[in-house]
Amino acid sequence: MKSGVNNRLLVVWLVLSAITVGYFWMDRTVDHDGILRPSAVVTASAVMIALVKVRIIFREFMEVRKAPALLCRLTDAWIAIIAVSLLGCYFIGSAVG
Amino acid sequence: MTDKSMKFVPGQPDMWAFVLFETLVFTSYFAVYLIFRTASPQLYLQSQAHLSLRIGIFNTIVLLASSWAVARCVQASRDGRFASASTNAYLATALGFVFLGSKIFEWAKVIRSGFGFSTNEFFMHYYFLTAIHCLHVLIGFVALGVIIYQLRSPARRSQELVETGATYWHTVDFLWVLIFAMLYVVR
Repeated sequence: MKSGVNNRLLVVWLVLSAITVGYFWMDRTVDHDGILRPSAVVTASAVMIALVKVRIIFREFMEVRKAPALLCRLTDAWIAIIAVSLLGCYFIGSAVG
Repeated sequence: MTDKSMKFVPGQPDMWAFVLFETLVFTSYFAVYLIFRTASPQLYLQSQAHLSLRIGIFNTIVLLASSWAVARCVQASRDGRFASASTNAYLATALGFVFLGSKIFEWAKVIRSGFGFSTNEFFMHYYFLTAIHCLHVLIGFVALGVIIYQLRSPARRSQELVETGATYWHTVDFLWVLIFAMLYVVR
């Protein structure tokens, strides 16, 4: 049981690390010859992927999945607030600018 | 025996209030950063090109590993395996120092390339966000120190305090996950 729990944490770390390395590929899809290019798709994806990672950290490392429903809902609500705030500011800013 | 299906709040509820408050403060800053970024996209992209995505990814994986070690520490402590819990707390601290060392190396590299705090808006945000995060890392070392101190003596051991310190350290980790995305990845 204990090794099962530790294996789960190892898998979580591997998944989080793999997602992080995935950023490398994501940026290369839009950058050419070392020149960085603007991309709303990459920006929105980067924000959403980061929030997925934050949710995994909340639920697995911070043990929110074992916490009362109130804390589960509160952390999920917080992630939703961050997503709306960041994507909203980026897209509204882009539209105005 | 502990009921495995029993729900519990890890650590002190006050720490969770602090975590959610800190997250809102950083989110507000990220929102302002993104608005400024959309006003001068080329300036931000050209400046961002001077940061190393490799170093950013390395730092993120190191801090995630540190968080993993702290999660193992909490579980070992809960199971009464205090030697393993201490080892994992020391490992988390060591990885925290690796992160800090790597961050200082990156600052030195960027500064030697001629990009300081007042170079432009992007670097102002870069230095402010990374420095304020490093301050959180330093406070995190105190939290990890408290965990190690708690685990050393049977008379002092408090699972609640171990979990509270761990919650703070995980917060340092996920704030970096967001900062990394904002500074190194968004386009």
